[in-house]
Amino acid sequence: MKKILFALIAFVLFSSHVMYLKLDSYFLEPDTKATIQLFNGTFDKSENVITRDRMLDASLLGNGQRIKVADSQWTEKDSVTLLNFQAGAAGTWVAGISTAPRSIEMDAEAFNTYLEHEGILDMLTFRKENDELEDAAVEKYSKHVKTIFQVGNKRTNDWETALGYPIEFVPLDNPYDLNTGDSIRVKLLFNGEPLANQLVYADYKAPEDAHTHDDAEAEDGHSHDEETEHSHEPKSESGHINQGEKVKNEHSHTDEASHSHDDGTTEHSHDDNVEHSHSHDNEPESTHSHKETDEEGHTHDDTNEEGHSHVGTTEKEHSHDSGETAPHQHTSGQQLRSNADGIVTAKLTADGIWYLQTIHLVKTEEEGFTHESNWTTLTFEVVHAHGADTHTHENEEEGGIPSYVYWIGSLLLVGLLFFWFNRKK
Amino acid sequence: MTNSAKKILISSSFILFPFALLAHGVSSGDQEILNNGGLLSYIYVGAKHMVTGYDHLLFLAGVIFYLKSFKDIVRFITVFTIGHSITLIGATYLGIQANEHLVDAVIALSVLYKGFENLGGFEKYLKVKSPNLLPMVFIFGLIHGFGLSTRLQSFEVGSSQFLAKIVSFNIGVELGQILALIPIVFVITKWQTKNSYNAFYKAANFYLVIAGIGLFIYQMYGYFYGH
Repeated sequence: MKKILFALIAFVLFSSHVMYLKLDSYFLEPDTKATIQLFNGTFDKSENVITRDRMLDASLLGNGQRIKVADSQWTEKDSVTLLNFQAGAAGTWVAGISTAPRSIEMDAEAFNTYLEHEGILDMLTFRKENDELEDAAVEKYSKHVKTIFQVGNKRTNDWETALGYPIEFVPLDNPYDLNTGDSIRVKLLFNGEPLANQLVYADYKAPEDAHTHDDAEAEDGHSHDEETEHSHEPKSESGHINQGEKVKNEHSHTDEASHSHDDGTTEHSHDDNVEHSHSHDNEPESTHSHKETDEEGHTHDDTNEEGHSHVGTTEKEHSHDSGETAPHQHTSGQQLRSNADGIVTAKLTADGIWYLQTIHLVKTEEEGFTHESNWTTLTFEVVHAHGADTHTHENEEEGGIPSYVYWIGSLLLVGLLFFWFNRKK
Repeated sequence: MTNSAKKILISSSFILFPFALLAHGVSSGDQEILNNGGLLSYIYVGAKHMVTGYDHLLFLAGVIFYLKSFKDIVRFITVFTIGHSITLIGATYLGIQANEHLVDAVIALSVLYKGFENLGGFEKYLKVKSPNLLPMVFIFGLIHGFGLSTRLQSFEVGSSQFLAKIVSFNIGVELGQILALIPIVFVITKWQTKNSYNAFYKAANFYLVIAGIGLFIYQMYGYFYGH
């Protein structure tokens, strides 16, 4: 029974894919070739490509013009779908993808676990309060994602234009007018109307060095040893996100059979005696799998504070149990809730690629379904200096102490020292 | 204290020390200048960085305090220039980077070093003769150049005319250095004839020690707690 349960949990763990639009750099030069990567999986690793027929809309919006992306602009590499385009005139650009709905069936247990792991806590609470925890679900889901990037230096207002997706984040501030330490206000729209009281997660991925890009990482979002049978990104494959980790973090593998996650705070472990596979999106490319024997323990060392650990040695260590009381989520970072106007405010605490995500999941009367979800993410980059495309340092900003304090302090100090020594003489 | 001494004190304080406050002066606008201008923009930004890059100037001021003749000043500044040019051009060209806080922390120590040496710290407290300044200035020049390189690498320089841009930035640094040195040398040499020079000398070098320690702590704090 336990094995079945674990298999089930593993299935759920590895089956929900969040979609993101990512760029190597969110600062582009005008009229240069660029690529946007469409990830479907975690922020770190795409698990499968998205076929063009699934896309209801793929648009680029800049300088007031919305440009439909042609099918010929798409390519695929590994499990990442790539949008190749020519960056247009200088301005703040938006790219968006909206996908057609699909459905997935889950039994009650799997559904509850999925709600918990994806941070869809309101529905979980609702099920608990309404004695629906035993109800299975047939969920209709669709994903609608956006990214905002800056071409050249000129800021334009395209970032505030809604693309008209079923659900989408529309910033109230241009992310490229903001810097680390600022807050961004984003309005969440559902069918064009502000969506109040919705849980939103904001997190970021810090660059190791703000001034370089790891190409290997950028190409497939993943830099693991190819020989290994499975591949773990630092943020794990189950759709959870952790705050504050580096692109190239301490994640290390000693050999094929043993690697470790240990982040010290929360803990859960997976018994990898089962083969995990991805089937949420029914893509032929969903081939990510875990094959491990009992003896092949693996652990990950992560820098993140909120994470989990995979031990994979025995079943007993697996702490994903439907009966566990402490909620275990794969969403971390800032947990926000939209206000009455559908607005969330995220504090941009560090340099990096920031992403907001939410899954709006409600019960539906639609025939053949019990629930309907709309997933959305928004990505953009935040740097620590004024002028969004610069990587600069000003001690005044970093230290938060105005220059004149130093000026006056230094003058006073030299003056006092001078008088002191002059008197002593 | 005479009125002229007071005047010199005030003006020199403005010239010498408050550069500390402008920090590294690489403002957000600089990237735009670099993006939109040609090689001249690199000269400008290099010069600007040097003129407002307090730690380099504090160190140079410390060196000048130590020297007696104009000939010596030229000699030492030349050695410092060679030193920082080697690492500025070399490290930037090769893409060698280090954490800027750590580099700046070492540069802060060079300021501390110079103040300490000028105050006779080696003889007084360590009971040793202070190391020959010329090679020390060369070594510190290398370190300062690495700091300048780290700063230059924080810009998106682009790949076209890469070496020319680095050299332009370096030329700008030298021009900025000359510009900044003129008032520093002027004030120090002028004051040397005054009775109050000894007090000024001590005050300024004590300030270098304090500033060096302060900057070091500031950079280390930035290293551990900065983003």
